[in-house]
Amino acid sequence: MAKLNDTVDVSRGSFRELPFSHPFWEASREKRLLLQQCPRTGQFQFFPRPVSIATGRTDLEWREVDGRGEIYSYTLTHLGPGPFKGQDPYAVIIARLDAGVDIVSNLVHASTEDLCIGRRIRPYWMPLDDGRHLLLFEPDSEVPGK
Amino acid sequence: MALQDCVIAGYAETELRYKSGSEPFALGGVIMDSLLNSTGFSKSEIDGLIVTPSVSAAATAFWAQSFVEFLGLELNFVDTVDLGGCGAAGSVARAAAAIDAGLCSTVLVICSDTPTSRFDYVNYSYHEEWSDPVGLMGPPGSFGLLSKRYDHQYGLDPEALAKLAVTQRNHALLNDNACQKLRTPITREDYLNSRMIAEPIRLLDCVMFADGANGLLVTRRDIAKARKLDRFVVPIGYGEVTNVGGASSLVDITNAGHTSAGARAFAQAGLTPGDINSVHPYDDFLIAIMLQLEMLGFCKPGQGADFIRETNFAFDGDLPLNTGGGQISAGQAGLAGGGTNLVEAVRQLFGQGGPRQVKDTENALVTGIGWINYGRNWGSSVVLILAPDA
Repeated sequence: MAKLNDTVDVSRGSFRELPFSHPFWEASREKRLLLQQCPRTGQFQFFPRPVSIATGRTDLEWREVDGRGEIYSYTLTHLGPGPFKGQDPYAVIIARLDAGVDIVSNLVHASTEDLCIGRRIRPYWMPLDDGRHLLLFEPDSEVPGK
Repeated sequence: MALQDCVIAGYAETELRYKSGSEPFALGGVIMDSLLNSTGFSKSEIDGLIVTPSVSAAATAFWAQSFVEFLGLELNFVDTVDLGGCGAAGSVARAAAAIDAGLCSTVLVICSDTPTSRFDYVNYSYHEEWSDPVGLMGPPGSFGLLSKRYDHQYGLDPEALAKLAVTQRNHALLNDNACQKLRTPITREDYLNSRMIAEPIRLLDCVMFADGANGLLVTRRDIAKARKLDRFVVPIGYGEVTNVGGASSLVDITNAGHTSAGARAFAQAGLTPGDINSVHPYDDFLIAIMLQLEMLGFCKPGQGADFIRETNFAFDGDLPLNTGGGQISAGQAGLAGGGTNLVEAVRQLFGQGGPRQVKDTENALVTGIGWINYGRNWGSSVVLILAPDA
């Protein structure tokens, strides 16, 4: 199986947080995945917002999830922007988490055969220079629903 | 019905040029001059202006007011329609609404942008935090994600997209305003062999920026009648949706707002897809054309490729499509690009299509696409159905 080109070594630089994202990034320091959950509907949401997208109310709560899910879609990028230049082709995926959110990310530590819709995946936390971690995904061998 | 009490009295367009060295006010002035010339209106009769934003000046505030001052206008209604590729068609609806509310009577719509000469665009949105760090490559990356999922659910037929590419390019060859860089014939093989940008998006799937401007003059029907204009075009149906499924965390990425926007536009116009004489869908990527044909009901979801294979989209074919070449073969005038296919539709209904004039001009359908959501389909959808002096 051919190794899928990786982006683990690509420096992501520094980027700003919006204030309502802060709990996500703080938890990322400990490689814990926190998602916003609407207490009225139980709906998780990603990316973080100032309100529940279900109800429009601000009474959101943060809940920890294990982050497992599957590849909903992917694209192989051949003209990477900024620090990704020269690293192509690399895989950008939409991860559909079992918790019920979609996250745009990269697939790492994978073979080319792993890059397929429906492939089970789990979080891989890539260290950032400032102690935060970036949420990427790697193939997951565990059976779902355990 | 308010929408139909307004008319498009004239249209204008500049040539699309790569690195023209121009800027938006200059091209906007050309558009106003052209509209005054073709409609016979005087500048003092214009009491409203709607502009779309410009990539060349996207970091500025007070964009519309600046435009008013640079053009020497005094107005009772001014607005910027910030809907990306939906801005032009959205401006027609907003002009009609403003006129119907009595805020003004004659609205100049100007879409002007020069992204290949001056780029001044920044995102204050989700990108910096959530998509740039994983190297999502702007619109081609997002359409790559969309296309791969479509392929999984329905099967993606590159041959169908190749047919659209060649059809649009043939139309651009007949359009003197199309960007000269793009006015060379292409073949099916050229499309299929063009290099991958964001698989499965190829280079020839993508639109290319150019500098250019376009515009319309929208006025009350009774004013147009009183002036005895020999021709004008009436908006007879309109639908608009932004952020479809916005309250849900999981949506089908292959669906967008054109389904409901189209249904509303058809219902208002009293028409069905089978009644449409020519179609001018917003085209930033070829697959967007196919998806819109499906969502608008020209065919069922997933059957776009079959419909494309069975239909002749040439200007003299069964269902003429983007008869000016679309943006993909004429050039995308940045945030003014939504006006390119709109002006072409109006031109056809005026009977001024020249060597690419369509035969049937009872109506035309135009769409817009604007904004790309995080991990989803496009953000805004508009559908506008036009008819000559309905």
